Amino acid sequence: MVLGALAACRPLDPEGSSAARATPLPDALEGFRADAWFLPDDDLLGFVEIAAGPFTMGSDPAVDPRAFENERWSAGGTQGTVDLPAFAIGRYEVTVAQFRAFADVSGYTSAPEALRGSPDHPVGSVSWPDALAYCRWLEATLRDWPGTPPRLRQWLNAGWRVTLPSEAEWEKAARGADGRVYPWGDVPRRDRANFGGAAGATPAGSFDCPECPFGLSDMSGNVWELTRSPYQPYPYDENDDARDLAADALFVMRGGSFTDPEGNVRAAVRGGADPGVRRPFIGFRVVISPPP
Amino acid sequence: MPAARRRARPKDRRSGAAVPARRRAPGPAAPSAGVLGIPLALALALLPISLVPRIQTHPVLAQSFWGAAAALLAWQAVLFLLRRREEARPEIDTVLRPQHYVQAAVQLSVFAYWGWYWRPVYDHAWLLAGQLVFAYAFDLLLAWSRRERYTLGFGPFPIIFSTNLFLWFRDDWFHLQFLMIAVGFLGKAFVRWERDGRRVHIFNPSAFSLGLFSVVLIATGTTPLTWGEDIATTLTLAPRIYLFLFLAGLVVMYRFAITLVAGSAAVVLFGLSALYAAATGVPYFIDSEIPTAVFLGLHLLVTDPSTSPRTPLGKTIFGVLYGVGVFVLYTLLGAFGAPTFYDKLLSVPLLNLSVRWIDRVAVTLEAGGPFGRVAERLARPNANLAQMAMWIVFFAAMTLIGATDGRHRGDTVPFWEQACAEGRPQACERLLQIEASYCADASAWACNELGRHYTDGAIVAADAALGLDYFSRACELRFRPACLNLLEQGGAYRAPPKTLDLRLLLREGGQNLMEMSEAELRARACAHGWDFACEEARQ
Repeated sequence: MVLGALAACRPLDPEGSSAARATPLPDALEGFRADAWFLPDDDLLGFVEIAAGPFTMGSDPAVDPRAFENERWSAGGTQGTVDLPAFAIGRYEVTVAQFRAFADVSGYTSAPEALRGSPDHPVGSVSWPDALAYCRWLEATLRDWPGTPPRLRQWLNAGWRVTLPSEAEWEKAARGADGRVYPWGDVPRRDRANFGGAAGATPAGSFDCPECPFGLSDMSGNVWELTRSPYQPYPYDENDDARDLAADALFVMRGGSFTDPEGNVRAAVRGGADPGVRRPFIGFRVVISPPP
Repeated sequence: MPAARRRARPKDRRSGAAVPARRRAPGPAAPSAGVLGIPLALALALLPISLVPRIQTHPVLAQSFWGAAAALLAWQAVLFLLRRREEARPEIDTVLRPQHYVQAAVQLSVFAYWGWYWRPVYDHAWLLAGQLVFAYAFDLLLAWSRRERYTLGFGPFPIIFSTNLFLWFRDDWFHLQFLMIAVGFLGKAFVRWERDGRRVHIFNPSAFSLGLFSVVLIATGTTPLTWGEDIATTLTLAPRIYLFLFLAGLVVMYRFAITLVAGSAAVVLFGLSALYAAATGVPYFIDSEIPTAVFLGLHLLVTDPSTSPRTPLGKTIFGVLYGVGVFVLYTLLGAFGAPTFYDKLLSVPLLNLSVRWIDRVAVTLEAGGPFGRVAERLARPNANLAQMAMWIVFFAAMTLIGATDGRHRGDTVPFWEQACAEGRPQACERLLQIEASYCADASAWACNELGRHYTDGAIVAADAALGLDYFSRACELRFRPACLNLLEQGGAYRAPPKTLDLRLLLREGGQNLMEMSEAELRARACAHGWDFACEEARQ
């Protein structure tokens, strides 16, 4: 009896299987493919290609008086120019359904809160390693899956990786090359994003943004989005990421959330996320990015 | 109606108190009906105990108490229904035996000292109280179910204390703690044999249940359900714990003449450890000559007079075999990937089973020849005092050479890194073990190192998934190289331990370093073989 009771237990998950207590996955979800781990139902499974080229990064206080100190390129300067190779970024923030599908398939143990939301809402309460685990799984899945769109397969075969965006990739995807303050322009608009102390996150893709440079949803507000860039002072240089290993890990998060005022959901705003922290207003989106 | 027949009760050898007859024929004696209320009161007492904040913090824990109370009440109800037509009523004798209350007092002192430096012990106090109440009720109902008189005394105390000095279940699984206690008493009642013309229990009750549950926990890989690993390692948080256990042990040795058991076990363990170290260049036990919990066990677990040999030579053989058993089990358990702290628990039931054989061997040896003369000397009046004197000298010598509370070379990670690099036996396994222990203590540095080992596969079979798990843990603890390793999946990034890591890694010997200044911490790191700290000091 004791043997049976002990053998049946799950000592490292004392609250029981987190997946077992999560919101069940629906049979179908509009705009997403239930047969493809609830990735968006379009030609590139929700990935949008961002062409190579330079863009304006950071904030100029003369143009945007709400700019924080950490958005300035240097003490004297204002904004910088960063040239990026082509990459692809998710049209939407990763949803609860997608993360739940990942947890179900891979057996990954996440915080139970991450799996409890509505399936079409952005996933929250994920740590930075949780987000990277999703990326690793998605890359391996797309490499193995016969249904992977040829364009995605081409990128993956060329050595591109599914990962979190760098903060430069994120900012370019959000504001394009012209240095605008918000993804849609220079003034805040409630009809374009979920922010300003809203009650909670809204379903991915709730806000159309025809003015946004790449048509991405929720690049402003809804949930903060984790990036793969360590939090460091500007000027931005990806080569700095592996320096100062003795410093505490802190990663940049972007875009602000439904809880934030308009000044925090600007495209250049830089938040810092402790990699171990899990909050309902912090999520992520993924990129397929070429090797450095 | 037959008259009650009572045999003359033999005198207990130590207390001089009358020992109750084991079985009583049915008779008209009708003692106070209040006696019947004792198990009822004990069972009900579990309910208010379950309301204390410590137990109310966890619903499953509280439910364990209610379940235990319900089981006792149900048992009593069944007993009442079955026996209500019998005229005989349960009877109780009160016998206070020194081997119970002295042992209990010594065990309690260990809890008090250890808990002063490791808070969960004090937090466990209400759970101990609950187990004691349960144990009394269970023991009483068991005796009455078997139509025996119940001997009220301090008997349950050393059983409960002894069990809890080595193993207790976590809150989620505390009902198994009650089960473990019940198994100990059942073993005492039912697993018996004939020895020296008397029918006696074979196993030390706490060692029996500890051994049985250890086997099940090992077989099912469910050790994390218990605090066993923590218990085995946190004794060293109390400064000079060896000295404390030694002094506490002297009380037991003096009172119950168990010096030959504990002393010979300790001498064998010290000796075998020294031989191993001389042959391999690394300590046998990671960070001590005798693990603290084993040192505790050889004073307070293996020394139950009722289940160990009675002749001096038999006691010596018993102690030697305990030492050898612990030594061998440590390696065997490690080889099978089981937690090694079970070594001291598994040995005792096996030795209890060997007692009659040991008795026979001792009698044969004592019959003549050199062993006979030795046995004769060991049995002389005041021989125990002489043995204690020898033990004191031996312990003092071990202390002087740093084999007890002093700093131990196996304490430091750099020692094991070096030994692993040099290919010393078991050194890489020990390095992984010690790093896993520090990682579990939330040392991000140790987690990152483990991630690297499992990623590069140089000193252990590569396991990419496990490596990522360790990197994730280190990254969540804000260790930047681990996050980069997670990002690039190469395992190439590493950095020296950070301040919090050092407070854990340099805890060697159990000191609490949380308040130590950074300068002192780095000086200590340099003194303990951390080259980066010496380089920082030079710059």
